[in-house]
Amino acid sequence: MRRTGVFYAQLGLTILLCLFIVVPIMMSALAGVTVNVFQGLSSGLTLRWIFEVWDLYASSIFLSLWLAIACLFVTLIAGVPLAYVLVRKPGRATRLFEELLTLPVAIPGLALALALLITYGGVSGYRSSWLFILTGHVLFTLPFMVRSVAAVMSAMDMKTLEEGAASLGAGFWRRFFTVIVPNAKPGILAGALMVVTLSVGEFNLTWMLHTPLTKTLPVGLADAYASMRLEIGSAYTLIFFVLIMPLLIAMQILANRGSKPARATAEDK
Amino acid sequence: MTTSQKQAAQAQDAGTAIALTNCAKTFADGTRALMPFDLSITAGETLVLLGPSGCGKTTILRMIAGLEFPDAGGAIHFGDDDVTRQSIEQRRVGMVFQSYALFPNMTVAENVAYGLKVQKVGKAERDQRVREMLEMMHIDMLADRRVDQLSGGQRQRVALARAIAPRPRVLLLDEPLTALDAKLRVRLRTEINALLRKLGITAIYVTHDQEEAMALGDRIVVMQKGEIAQIGTPQEIYRAPKTPFVADFVGASNCLKVDIENGRALLGKVDVDVSPAWNASQTTDGLSEIYFRADGLALCAADDAHFTARVEAVSYLGERLRVTVSGIGEDAVLVDTDPDTNMTPGETVHCRLVPERLTVFAAS
Repeated sequence: MRRTGVFYAQLGLTILLCLFIVVPIMMSALAGVTVNVFQGLSSGLTLRWIFEVWDLYASSIFLSLWLAIACLFVTLIAGVPLAYVLVRKPGRATRLFEELLTLPVAIPGLALALALLITYGGVSGYRSSWLFILTGHVLFTLPFMVRSVAAVMSAMDMKTLEEGAASLGAGFWRRFFTVIVPNAKPGILAGALMVVTLSVGEFNLTWMLHTPLTKTLPVGLADAYASMRLEIGSAYTLIFFVLIMPLLIAMQILANRGSKPARATAEDK
Repeated sequence: MTTSQKQAAQAQDAGTAIALTNCAKTFADGTRALMPFDLSITAGETLVLLGPSGCGKTTILRMIAGLEFPDAGGAIHFGDDDVTRQSIEQRRVGMVFQSYALFPNMTVAENVAYGLKVQKVGKAERDQRVREMLEMMHIDMLADRRVDQLSGGQRQRVALARAIAPRPRVLLLDEPLTALDAKLRVRLRTEINALLRKLGITAIYVTHDQEEAMALGDRIVVMQKGEIAQIGTPQEIYRAPKTPFVADFVGASNCLKVDIENGRALLGKVDVDVSPAWNASQTTDGLSEIYFRADGLALCAADDAHFTARVEAVSYLGERLRVTVSGIGEDAVLVDTDPDTNMTPGETVHCRLVPERLTVFAAS
């Protein structure tokens, strides 16, 4: 096919648009390893800012990772059975419950945080511990886990599968763990990655709920931008990037695998 | 062999008798799915539940399985064992579903082993049994395949092997062949038939296909709107239907409206002696309907004829010629004849009723 002028015009526009989005990211990343951002690259490259961020905010980074894991744990324990009930027993009550569950996604994080503060702000031990932030994160991420698992569960004929297993003598828990959960695995994995990514990046809610001792990664980032040199804020972004990118890529790979027919993966064996 | 295994093997050899007593089913929304009924299935028998969709046949199967429970007053026995309140997990039934219900997360062998694992059968014995089952169903080469790599026929073989492997007391099959294409359906039907005879297991088979019912059933239960219309051997159901519904549902039927007087059917100028009809003794005088199949009417010479009819259509079925004729009753009537007969639509033919192949019912 001969490429016309229109093709090159479109290509140019696409590249321009991509650059429009990619350049700021590159600039920010570059700023994180520049000696002096106001002098530009001529001032030289350094890892100094990265180490400085690590010294200042390592605890925030670890807290964020810990929160993400704890949040994942809670949403798995609560979300998978919840999704099961929602799919298996459809009705007005479950529909209503599903709406309630989704509410924290629609309500601004600030409002949700405010509600938590008003209600539990007086419980000092709870208010100042990481568990308080975990509560917020679970409220915010649970619907994503439930939705993701429920989507996979409603695509398989759970009722008949369970009847089949029951006819072979398997009780409820055995059916749940040997038939339902393994077959819901794609949804559980996708939900898990979503929960971890959202928890690591959550700012609105966390900013309201945090104390100086319970600062998470994004809250620390805001802090760094507000009160430190621009280079430190940028170096921080770089670290954030390194943490979150593998998760996003894993999510994409899983989504692709889920949409492909199972046959292809089966024949790999 | 362990003691429990021996018992299981014996139980299977003998088969388990099943009795449903005064069972009815009303659903939560108040609809009556099944009128109270009694049904007993002898040990080792294959019973087919036949009827149109919504007739309650599947509800009976699910009641025996333990997936539905009869209304208060009903009782279900497996042999001497009262299972009325037992859940499906406790009943030791084998189930085969229309949609296969195989576990997609397991291989063929793992699917078949599932019930044995639940029963805590040891690994060596389990592997042995799985291999036997797969060989019996001619799918031993598929043992390590995943379920989504199998064809419909292969899936249903796996489902059968899985259901039989734990030596159930009764095998319940819910329209197992409906999802398959016609040729495969007939082949698998023959195999299932041979399998059930070989195992001597009590089996209950639900279908809406009368041909399937005839081929498989020791006895057939014809269901209509939540009630049992007739129970009998395939021959009884086919030759001696007890209600117009059964006559109509089981096989293509012809129907003529007549007047019965002193054992004679009157239709216009025609006067036929119906006293040889199999249920003639139960008929009463008055407006009636005569049911008969394509062999209940015969083409004949003009002198012997009851009717003169016009050929509407001719279909060659190989072993016979099926002729659609009009002019006898209100509706067209089917007649079978010698396949070598030369016949064209529009032609006039003479035919007579074969009295011993008629069934007479009072007009509804």
